Amino acid sequence: MLTLQTWTVQALFIFLSTESLGELLDPCGYINPESPVVQLGSNFTAVCVLKEKCMDYFHVNANYIFWKTNHATVPHEQYTVINRTASSVTFTDISLLNIQLTCNIRTFGQIDQNVYGIRIISGLPPEKPKNLSCIVKEGEKMTCQWDPGRETYLETNFTLKSEWATEKFDDCKTKRDNPTSCTVDYSPVYFVNIEVWVEAENALGKVASDHINFDPVDKVKPFPPHNLSVSNSEELSSILKLTWINSSIKSFMKLKYDIQYRTKDASTWSQIPPEDTASTRSSFTVQDLKPFTEYVFRIRCMKEDGKGFWSDWSAEESGITYEDRPSKAPSFWYKMEPSHTHGCRPVQLIWKTLPPFEANGKILDYEVTLKRWKSHLQNYTVNDTKLTVNLTNDHYIATLTARNLVGKSDASVLPIPAYDFQGNLAESKCYLITVTPVYDNGPGSPQSIKAYLKQAPPSKGPTVRTKKVGKNEAVLEWDQLPVDVQNGFIRNYTIFYKTNIGNETAVNVDSSHTEYTLSSLTSDTLYMVRMAAYTDEGGMDGPEFTFTTPKFAQGEIEAIVVPVCLAFLLTTLLGVLFCFNKRDLIKKHIWPNVPDPSKSHIAQWSPHTPPRHNFNSKDQMYSDGNFTDVSVVEIEANDKKPFPEDLKSLDLFKKEKISTEGHSSGIGGSSCMSSSRPSISSSDENESAQNTSSTVQYSTVVHSGYRHQVPSVQVFSRSESTQPLLDSEERPEELQLVDNVDGSDVILPRQQYFKQNCSQHETSPDVSQFERSKQVSSVNDEDFVRLKQQQISDHISQSYGSGQMKMFQEVSAADAFGPGTEGQVERFETVGMEAVIDEGMPKSYLPQTVRRGGYMPQ
Amino acid sequence: MKVLAAGVVPLLLVLHWKHGAGSPLPITPVNATCVTRHPCHSNLMNQIKNQLVQLNSSANALFILYYTAQGEPFPNNLDKLCSPNVTDFPPFHANGTEKARLVELYRIIAYLGASLGNITRDQKILNPNALSLHSKLNATADIMRGLLSNVLCRLCSKYHVGHVEVAYGPDTSGKDVFQKKKLGCQLLGKYKQVIAVLAQAF
Repeated sequence: MLTLQTWTVQALFIFLSTESLGELLDPCGYINPESPVVQLGSNFTAVCVLKEKCMDYFHVNANYIFWKTNHATVPHEQYTVINRTASSVTFTDISLLNIQLTCNIRTFGQIDQNVYGIRIISGLPPEKPKNLSCIVKEGEKMTCQWDPGRETYLETNFTLKSEWATEKFDDCKTKRDNPTSCTVDYSPVYFVNIEVWVEAENALGKVASDHINFDPVDKVKPFPPHNLSVSNSEELSSILKLTWINSSIKSFMKLKYDIQYRTKDASTWSQIPPEDTASTRSSFTVQDLKPFTEYVFRIRCMKEDGKGFWSDWSAEESGITYEDRPSKAPSFWYKMEPSHTHGCRPVQLIWKTLPPFEANGKILDYEVTLKRWKSHLQNYTVNDTKLTVNLTNDHYIATLTARNLVGKSDASVLPIPAYDFQGNLAESKCYLITVTPVYDNGPGSPQSIKAYLKQAPPSKGPTVRTKKVGKNEAVLEWDQLPVDVQNGFIRNYTIFYKTNIGNETAVNVDSSHTEYTLSSLTSDTLYMVRMAAYTDEGGMDGPEFTFTTPKFAQGEIEAIVVPVCLAFLLTTLLGVLFCFNKRDLIKKHIWPNVPDPSKSHIAQWSPHTPPRHNFNSKDQMYSDGNFTDVSVVEIEANDKKPFPEDLKSLDLFKKEKISTEGHSSGIGGSSCMSSSRPSISSSDENESAQNTSSTVQYSTVVHSGYRHQVPSVQVFSRSESTQPLLDSEERPEELQLVDNVDGSDVILPRQQYFKQNCSQHETSPDVSQFERSKQVSSVNDEDFVRLKQQQISDHISQSYGSGQMKMFQEVSAADAFGPGTEGQVERFETVGMEAVIDEGMPKSYLPQTVRRGGYMPQ
Repeated sequence: MKVLAAGVVPLLLVLHWKHGAGSPLPITPVNATCVTRHPCHSNLMNQIKNQLVQLNSSANALFILYYTAQGEPFPNNLDKLCSPNVTDFPPFHANGTEKARLVELYRIIAYLGASLGNITRDQKILNPNALSLHSKLNATADIMRGLLSNVLCRLCSKYHVGHVEVAYGPDTSGKDVFQKKKLGCQLLGKYKQVIAVLAQAF
C-alpha cells in the first residue's frame, strides 16, 4: 500500500512538473527564419511574430518588440512593424560571422522579456578549387590535392570525382581535417586516361574545379631503386661501379635516374650529369674519383620522359676506390745531432706521413737512400717516420719515397751539406743561400738569395756583336757574363763606340739588358764598338767589334727602281694602246693601202649611179665634183677567197666577154651596148640612159680594202680605157666554177649576171635563173640602171651606211633562192657590168640586181 | 560449354568485374549509338599497346605464382594440368584490319576478365593465404578493365562501334576443388600464351 502511495505521489509530481515546464518553455513568439546562413556582406531581415496568448498576457503588441544582437540593442531605425503581431529588423552588410539575434518585449513598462532567439551564421560560398593535381605513388592509390580557395567560414565539403571515358568511379569524400586532398579507393590503372575534378559545396553554394584529364602513368612516383651496391676496380683507381635493382614498374615504363655522390666527410652532393643516366639501366660506373677514397652514393628514378615525380632517394651506400701510387713525395728534413765524434756525425732524418689524398692508399713503408758524392749508396726501409744515421763529414744526398700496395711515390731529395761547409767560403764567388723554415708540421717554403763574400771587378768583359745593322742604326746584343767571371753583381754595362776618325761615345746600359740599339749613326761608315761590365768594385772591357753601316737602307733601292719600272711599263702600254686605237690613221700615213691590180676582182658596176641612191656616204665623200656622175664599181676583198683568184676570175670574166659571148669589148655591159667605145656618162639620168646606148662607161674600181684592211683613200674615177680583154676572160666557166666551189654568196651572182648580159639572145627554158632574168633585162639594156656597191667586210659595210648593207643582203637572199619561179626571177633585174683596169686600178662593169620597187629599167 | 550472356556469369561480373566492362551484350548493329562520358584520348592505340605490354610482362609471373600456390601436383605436372587447352577461346587474327583486331581483342579480354574473376573468387576460398596471388590477380583484372575501356573507346570514337558481342568461358562454381585449380591453371597458361601474341600484334 505504501508502495502504491509512493508511486502515485511520484507520478503526480512528474505530471505537474511536466505541465508547468510546458508552460514555461512555450515561447511568446518566434523568429523567421529560424536558422539562417547569410553571405557576408549581404542584407538580412528577420521577423518576430508574437503569439496572441502572450500579447494578451503581457498586454503588448508588435510595437513593444525590440531586437538585440549579441546582447546589444539594435537601433529602432532598423525596425519595421509589419502588423500588430509582427515586427522585422533589417541588417545591411552583414560582417559578423556569428550573430545571436533575440526578439524582446518590454512588459509592464520596465521588464524586458525575451521572446525568441536565433543564431545567424554568415560566411561565403565556396570558391572554385584551383591547382588540382594528382600523384600516383607506386603501390598506392591515387591521391589528388587542390587549392580550396578562400576561407568560407562555413562547413564546406569537397568531393573528388573521377571517371574514365566509359565508366565513373566512386566519389572521394575529403576528411574534415584534410579538406584539400583525397585518396581514391581504387587501384590506379595505367595507360587509361582518367578525368578528375573537385566539387566544393557549402550552405551558400556549390562549385566545381576545372577537369583535368591524364594518364595515371604520367603521375607516377615510382619506388626508388633498391639494393644499391658499390664496387671498385683494381684496374682503375678512379672509378666505382654502382648496381641496383629497379622497381617492377620498369617492366612497362622506361626510367631515368639521378645519382648523387660525395666523399664520406663532405656535406654537399655532387651530381652525375643527367644525360648520362637518361635511360633505363641497373648499373652505372662513376669516373674521375680520387683513389682510395670512400664515397657515398644515392640514387632515385622517375619516368624517362620527365612526366611524373622523382622517387624518394634510395638508401645511401658507400664504397672505396682502389689504391693508386702515392701522388706526392713525403716532406723530408734532417736534424743534426749535437754530439759527434771525429769524422762521424749522427743525423736524424725525419718526414711526415702523407695525407690520405696524397698517399692514395695505405703506406706500407718508406725507402730512404743516402748517397755520398756520386758513389756510395745506402738504402734503408723504414716503417716509422724517422731514421737516424751516422754520416761522415762529407756532403750527402738523401732521398725518400713512400710505398703503398700499388707503387712508390716520387722521391723527395734532401741535400745534407758537408760538416765543414762554413769555413770554405771564397771571395768573389757567388753563393746561393737558402733558408727553409721548419714548422711543427713540416718544412715551409724555402727562400733563397745570392750573395758574395766580397765582390771584385769581372774577370772578363762582355762580348758584343751586332744583331742588325741599318743605315743609321745598329742593334747590339751580348750575353750575360757567366757567374764564374762576374765576381760580383753586375750593376751596369757601358758601350763605347766610335768611327775611325771620330770621338768615342759611351752609353750606359742597365745590367738587366742584353740588347741595345745605337742610333744616329752615319751611313756607309765603319764603327768600332766595345763593351764593359761593372760590378760594385769596378769594370772590365770586352773585345772590340767593328761593323760598317750600309750605304742604303733596306728596301731603299727597291723603292726607287720599282716605281721607275712601273712608270716605264705603263708608258709603253699606253703607247701600244694608242697605236692600236689609231692604227687606221697610222696606216694611212705610214703604209697606205695600195691595191694590187693583179689581185683585184670585180664587185659591182653601175654605169649610171644616181646621186640619190644608197651611196650617201660616197656622195658626200665625193660631193666636191671631182667625180661627178660616176658609175661606181667597188671591188672588195673576198674574205673567203684569196684575192688574186678574184682578180684572176675577173680576167677570165673579161675574156669571156670578148671571146665566148662574142661581144665587142667584153668589158661589162659594153657588149650590151651599141658601141664598144668608151663613153662618158652625164649626170643627168635620162641623158645617161641615152648615152649608154652609144658609149661605154667605165668606172673606177674602188677597193674597200685589201683583205681586211681599210683603204686609206677611196678612189673613184671614170675610166675610158679600151684595154683589151685578158686571155682568162675567154673561159668564163672557170670563173663560175671557182665561185661555186667557194660557195660565196656575194661573188656568184655577179658572175652570173655578167654571163647573163653576154647571152641575151638565149631563150632556152633550161637557162639558169639569171639567164632568164637577163631576157628581161636585155629588153631594158638601154634603161638606166644603177650599180650596187657590195661590201664583204661587215665593218666596212657599216662604214658605208646601212643602206648599202641592206642591198648586200638582198643580193645574198636572191642567191639563196637558186633556180626558182618566174616570179622569183622577176624580183630582180640584171644589168650589165663593165670592168676596166686602169693603171693598176681594177675597173669593171658588173651586173647589178635591182630590187623591185627600186630603180627599174625605164 | 559456351555460355552466352546467361547463368552465373552476370553474377560474377557483378561481384568481380566492375561496371560495364565485359557485360554480355546482344548482337547489335555495328553503328549503334555509342556515347562516352567524355571524349576519348587521341593516344588510345599507344595506350592499348602499352597495356598489352604491361599484361605480357606480368603474365608469366602470374602463371608461376598460381601453380606454385596450388601446390602439388601442379608444379611438377604443368604439361598435363596446365596446358593451354581452353575450348571456345575467342580467336584472334593478327593480320586483320585494326577494327577487326580491336573487336577480337575486346572479346578476348572480356573472356579473360570474366575467367580471372572466377579464378580470383575460387582462390580466395581455396588459398585464402595466398595474398600475393590474390593481389596479382586483382591487378591483372584491373589492367584488363582499363584495356577494355580503351578498346571500347577506340571502337566507339573511330569506328562507331558501341557494342561487341562477347562470350565467356565455363563457370567453375560447380566444379570440385581440383577441377577449379586445373581450369584456372589452364586459363592462365592460355592467357600467358595469347597475351604474348596480342602484345606483338599491336
